Amino acid sequence: MTARRQNTRRTIVIFLIVIIAAAVFMFPLAWMLLTSLRPRADIYKDVPTIIPEAFNLDNYRYILSQKNFLRFFINSVVVTSCTVSIVLFSSLMGGYAFGMRRFRGQNMLFYLVTLVLAVPYIMYLVPIFVMEMYLNLRNTWLGLILPYVALNLPWGLLIMRGAFSTIPLDLKDSATIDGCNEFRFVFSISTPILKPALAATTIITFVFVWEEFLFASSINVRNYTLPVYFKFLLVETQGQEWGKVGAVVIFTILPVLILFLIFRNFFIKGLSEGMLKG
Amino acid sequence: MSSSITAQKRRMRARRKRREKRTLLIFLLPTLFFIVVFLAFPLLSSAYLSLTDIRANIFEAHKFIGLRGYYHTIFKDSFFHTAMRNQSIYAVSYFALTFIGSLFLAILINELQKGIGVLQVIFYLPMIIPLSIVGGIFLWIFSGTGNSFFNLVLARLGLARTPPVNVYGDPRYALFGLVIARSWKMTGFTLIIFLAGLQGISKEVREAAQIDGANFRQELFRVVLPMLKPYLLIGVTWILINSMKEFDLPAVVTFGGPGTATLTLYYRAWTLAFEYWEMSRSAQVSFITAILILAISWVFNRIFRPETAQRG
Repeated sequence: MTARRQNTRRTIVIFLIVIIAAAVFMFPLAWMLLTSLRPRADIYKDVPTIIPEAFNLDNYRYILSQKNFLRFFINSVVVTSCTVSIVLFSSLMGGYAFGMRRFRGQNMLFYLVTLVLAVPYIMYLVPIFVMEMYLNLRNTWLGLILPYVALNLPWGLLIMRGAFSTIPLDLKDSATIDGCNEFRFVFSISTPILKPALAATTIITFVFVWEEFLFASSINVRNYTLPVYFKFLLVETQGQEWGKVGAVVIFTILPVLILFLIFRNFFIKGLSEGMLKG
Repeated sequence: MSSSITAQKRRMRARRKRREKRTLLIFLLPTLFFIVVFLAFPLLSSAYLSLTDIRANIFEAHKFIGLRGYYHTIFKDSFFHTAMRNQSIYAVSYFALTFIGSLFLAILINELQKGIGVLQVIFYLPMIIPLSIVGGIFLWIFSGTGNSFFNLVLARLGLARTPPVNVYGDPRYALFGLVIARSWKMTGFTLIIFLAGLQGISKEVREAAQIDGANFRQELFRVVLPMLKPYLLIGVTWILINSMKEFDLPAVVTFGGPGTATLTLYYRAWTLAFEYWEMSRSAQVSFITAILILAISWVFNRIFRPETAQRG
């Protein structure tokens, strides 16, 4: 009896600590959200209250009226969605070749792919930058999409190879006997089985591209994506417009946040695998 | 008659083989294109670059100087020394904060019967926020005006300073300010790893320890943590390597400053290439960084566990 009461008390203490930690964790984002909802005068008072005295959406309205913001938002959306599509397509193709076909040099080639993926990305930056300078790809969508695909493809391949190798060869054989060629096999017969792998690849690539800063800030100096725009916004506003900065923060994380909340289990599993497994 | 049939069969088989080879090539084409053009070729040219004395224009006449550039960078470049020192301080403090924080939270959360799913989502949420955005959020919280949240808290605790503390503007605090920002984003990740490990430990083992009269601390240090070891090692490797790749925060929040207080290896390599146009020297710094990172992951792979490869 006493042991049980002690246990309940311990659980309550642990629960309280965890709740406080969770509140601390949510705080920075919540503070930015509250800031973005305050009128400007409220933000720059000497001692602002935690909960705003008045809410308004002026900052959001202002940001949405900025042509630049919309342009950069579209840049981010286009670059991200194109990268994700190309990575999915290429890793389906390559994953099939590595997972279900046998050919000479297969292991060698795959080893090269995994080797390349352990290299810090800064090593690729300068040569790619020079290459794109001479191909006139800087400040274009393609100029970011191509390196992003290359950086994410090894992960896609790794995941897809694993997924394809779980498909029994019998399935392929019977599909072949039924007159199905390999392309149809990869792109329509096997896709239902590959759904979790496709989801993981999508999430890893999406989150990576949406936040990528190193390449984006070096290659695209006019046609920004959101993270780079955000950097210049901070420089421009010099701490005088935190409400507007807050609105940009919220707009920038909104797409990932919505996806995260809908597919949270896929996210936590997929993203963790992507950041770890080699 | 029969021989012509076998010959025909052989021809058909050969043709099918050829066709199969062609489709294989088609399937590998996108992979080969991206890997060769955007990864292998840049990697090799980066290696070559680091052995020359190229400055702004890659195609101008240049000298092949072998490892002399590395010698110069490692022994003569005081900015590189600063970056190495900052990077070490950064790694140690980031490790301490992230590792202890996530392990502590994981152990506590594991004790709860309900709500683990919700808590996972809450602690994991910062992971999806772009690092540059994280930098902006903390720049506001830590900003040097009297009404920033950090200074309001200091004032409430009776520790207010005049002028107010400007975390990212003060060389004593700036690096640690960045550590806190990155740690906020990344803690959820190791937390999830540790939690997965903890949930894999069977209830029976822990109950057996309790029946044998172990108190909570003994149970933790004698039973739980030893069984968690593989996960802890993944966490250690990941945190250390992750801290070596610090670029976004100094680039967005502090510009490597004030002075050189937050100059990291990545940021040094970047400024060499994109501000001073010292392409070869930049390549040397990135190669050294890469070698350090690969060495860390190699050591941990070799000694402890084979599954801790890292995303570049």
